Parts: sequence; structure tokens; C-alpha cells
Amino acid sequence: MITIDNVTKRYFSLIAVDRVSFTVPRGQVLGVLGPNGAGKTTLFKLIAGFLNPDSGEIRPTHGYWPGIGYKPERLLFPNQMRVDEYLAMIARLSNISSNAIEQTVGDALAQVKLLDSSSKHIGQCSKGMRQRLALAQSLIGAPSVLLIDEPSNGLDPEGQADVQRMIQRIGAGGQTVLMSSHQLGEVTQTCSHLIILKQGRIHYRGSMAEALALRPHVTIQVDQELQPAEAMLTSLHPDIHIDGRQITLSNEAIRLRRYVLSLLVGMGFDIVGVAQKRTTLEEIYAEAVQWHNGS
Amino acid sequence: MAQRILTLIAYLLRRLLLSLAGVIYIVLALAFWRLSFDPRQSTPEPAYYVLVIGLFGAAAAFLITLSVASRANQAVNYPILARLPSRVEHLVAVLITSLLFTLGLQVIVALLATFDGPALTLGRILELPPLWLAADLLAIALALHASDLVTSGWSRVYVYGFLAIILFGRQLDAAVIQWVSDRFYTLAGWLYREGYMAPGNALNGLAEWLASSGGQLIGTIFDAVFWPFRAISTAVVSGSFTPAQALAPAIVVLYSTILFVLAADFFATKDVYLTE
Repeated sequence: MITIDNVTKRYFSLIAVDRVSFTVPRGQVLGVLGPNGAGKTTLFKLIAGFLNPDSGEIRPTHGYWPGIGYKPERLLFPNQMRVDEYLAMIARLSNISSNAIEQTVGDALAQVKLLDSSSKHIGQCSKGMRQRLALAQSLIGAPSVLLIDEPSNGLDPEGQADVQRMIQRIGAGGQTVLMSSHQLGEVTQTCSHLIILKQGRIHYRGSMAEALALRPHVTIQVDQELQPAEAMLTSLHPDIHIDGRQITLSNEAIRLRRYVLSLLVGMGFDIVGVAQKRTTLEEIYAEAVQWHNGS
Repeated sequence: MAQRILTLIAYLLRRLLLSLAGVIYIVLALAFWRLSFDPRQSTPEPAYYVLVIGLFGAAAAFLITLSVASRANQAVNYPILARLPSRVEHLVAVLITSLLFTLGLQVIVALLATFDGPALTLGRILELPPLWLAADLLAIALALHASDLVTSGWSRVYVYGFLAIILFGRQLDAAVIQWVSDRFYTLAGWLYREGYMAPGNALNGLAEWLASSGGQLIGTIFDAVFWPFRAISTAVVSGSFTPAQALAPAIVVLYSTILFVLAADFFATKDVYLTE
């Protein structure tokens, strides 16, 4: 549906999006996770066409540019308009014929459970209602790509669950969804695929099934700093990583654990502990946001 | 496309009319009528009526466009822009909204000014739409370049800098041309001494041309840019248009078109940062 090819966007000296490449096929619900300043909103604005990449290209996979529904993070609306008037305007802008506008607006309001407030002025709506309205406007006209920035900010738990179910339904219906969020739980519940951005670059990319599959790794703790042996140990396999007094062997490198242990003993290190662990999605995200919860 | 542009016009007009700025413009228009066409004063000349309301329209168009463009540049419009196949539709809506609001005010002032106002013949009345529309459109196109909606990088400086050069060029007199020509002679002499014969010859030739007929020609070219405005004011004051003068409003519209196409190009290709 959309291919993002080596896209970079700078704001003066700050690189907001750095050589990002991925393809979003039709019907995929892609979660974009990352801490504040990771480049999520900039990436969405690039895809929506508000910003131009400094290098790289964003192109439709099948040659024609899809219709885009955009739900911005900030809930800003023309407050003097009524909810239904605003949605009717978006429907007209989406080329919906005059006789179908009422039905389209009604459907969108029903999807976000806002039918009771259709005649309210937007200025009188609560934050939760504005969040639902922002989602409703992005659904109008069933655009083939939906860019949803922080869909459940300001929603109560029931509202969050509603939004998650709604996004799952949209993906199942064949629309492509890119959803950004700070909330890991929301993304894991809703998305079929996942990207984690860190300082504008893709830190992790994969299907949710892969991300949730707990990836094993072995950690070996020794009694002294491993710096003198670092070059030799890391040359054994690219999946061997040294951090202070700890060695981590992941993926194929796990098979070398006995050899590594014997090498360490031979070099005079005392083995303090050996543990077989599994990396969780939370740990991958924690690495991106640079906090450690100690789990 | 027409449905989308009409929808945007209705949206922007509503936002302007329901704002304080919209009310202020209406009050200012009424105040302008009261000051310029006070019914207690003597009946104004038709030329005064045409020119003063035309200038009022141009000034109002400039300010109203800044207000409409400022509203069109707000972050509430991100979902709207995402729906448009081309951003230029948004800019067209800004232009038409500004024009409609300006024409509304201009018509109000024009109608009020007819009470105890000048005796306008049918011919005079038919002159009004092309004259006022041309001036309004030019003011709108210029205001778009002054707005944050259209400005891209240094574009505002380039556009208004270019206009300043044209205004300056129109007023070139013999002393200034002689001074520039002398500087070119001096520079050519330095180039000869340094052994750069070809550029020295070119600069010497340019200095000679400026000193003889070139300066006058440049002044004439710059002056020609302003011919439509002189033609319009002359014709309005004299009360009739010659065939050549009748083309002047069309040329002003052509200027507006060039400025609008430039604005559309800036807006279509810039990074859009709407204000929150």
C-alpha cells in the first residue's frame, strides 16, 4: 500500500527521522512505538504529505496514492461547529455524495459511540469526546490508509478498549492502519505488526507474533571487568555482547556458551552466575526509551 | 474538486464571520463609509467614488486575506488538508473567501455611498466590477505572499524585495544612472590592469550603454510595469476609457495570476507547519 524508502527528515541540526525504510501492505495494522521525540509524529506527517522528506521517498506501492484519514495527536477542532456539522464537512471533502452524507456521519458517530452528542458544539465536548470525534473524522469515507496518532489519550479504560476493538475491525476490513502510541499494551492488543523508533531510527521491526515470541538469551556474570577480553570474545560471534561484567549470548551465539565459559575460566575470570533468560517486548521497548524496570 | 473548494469556502467564511476580526472589518467598513462619504457633505464626484471605494477594497482585501490565511494556517486544519488531493485547493478557497468577504464589504460601502452620492451612469456602473475586482485580486495575491500560510523559507523576502526593486527602478534618474555607469568604468579599469581583458571589455561596454541610452531604457521598462495603474487612474478621472486603457484591468489581473501561481507553488511544495 505504502512504501517508505530510506526517508530522512531534519529540523536544522536535529535528525527527526533517520533513513527509515519499511512497507505497509493493505490491511496491516502497524503500531509505531517510541518515546517522546523518537520521530513518530514526524513520520506520520511525512506519510500524510504535510512534510517533504530531505532524502528518500514515500510512494504508493501500487502506483496510485491512497486516500488518507489523519487523526492528529492534538485534539484541535473548530469549536464553534457542531459535531455532526464538522463530520459532514469532512464527508463533503471526502467526495461523499450529498444524499449519503447523513448516513456516513451517522455510521462514523456510531462506530465511536458518539451518536448522543452529535448536535453538541465541539467546544462543549469533553477530552474523551474530542478524542472520539478525532477518530470519527478519520474514519469518514473509509480511507484506504488511516494514520492514527495516540488514539486513546484521554479515554477511560472502557473507551480505550472500544478504540482497540474498532482499530482491529478496521484492519480486518482491509484498511491499512498506522497507529502511534506510547502505550505498549495498547499496541500489543491492537496491532499485527510493530515498529519501535528510537532517535528517528528503526530500533525494532517485526510482526507482533515475532515480537511477543520470547527470544532466549544467555547471560554470564563474572567477577571482574571484561574489557581486556572484549575484543577476543566479540570476535567469536556477532551476537555476543559485553556490558561491564556481563556477557550476553543471543540467537545462534547461545550454542557457544560452553566454549565461552571455558575461555573465561582459562583467562582467570571467576564465573559468578549463568542465567538463561528470554527477552520480552517490554525489554526491547525499554531499551528504546532508555529506562530499565529491573525485570 | 468544486464540491471540496465550496465546502472549504463555507467553512472559512463562517470562521471569519464568527470571529472578532470579522465583526471589526464590518465596523471598519461602516466607519470608512461615514468618514469618506458623509451625507452632510457635498455630493462626491463619480471619479472620487470609483477610486476611493476601489482603494478601500484593495486595502480591505489585503487585511482580510491575512486574517483568512491565518485561520487557514491553524492546526485544526490538519485533518482537512489530509483529505485534499492537492493543497492548492485550500489556497484557492482562501483566495475566494477573501474575495467574497471583501466584495461584500465593498458592495455595502458602495450602496451606502450612493445615498446623496454621485450620479452614476450605466456606463460608469459597468466599469466598476472589472476595476474593483482587479485591484482586490492583486491585493489578495500580494497578501498571500505576506502570510505564514504561503511563506516558504525566504520567499516573502524575495517577492517583496523584487517589488521594491521594481519600485526603485521606476524612479531611476540620470544622476543615479551616471553614478552606476561611473562605478562600472572604474571596475572595468581595474579588470584591465589585472589582465582580465574580456570581462573588462564587457563591463566597459555596459558602462557606455548605461551612460548613453541604456539607463533610460531600463527606466522605461520598469515604468511600463506600472502603466496599468496609471492608465486606470487617468481613465477614471477623465470619465472614459480608450481601447488601450480598457486593457489595463486585465493586465492587473494577469499580475495577480502570476503572483497567485507563485504562491500556489510555494504552498504546494513547502513543509506545512500549522500553528496551534
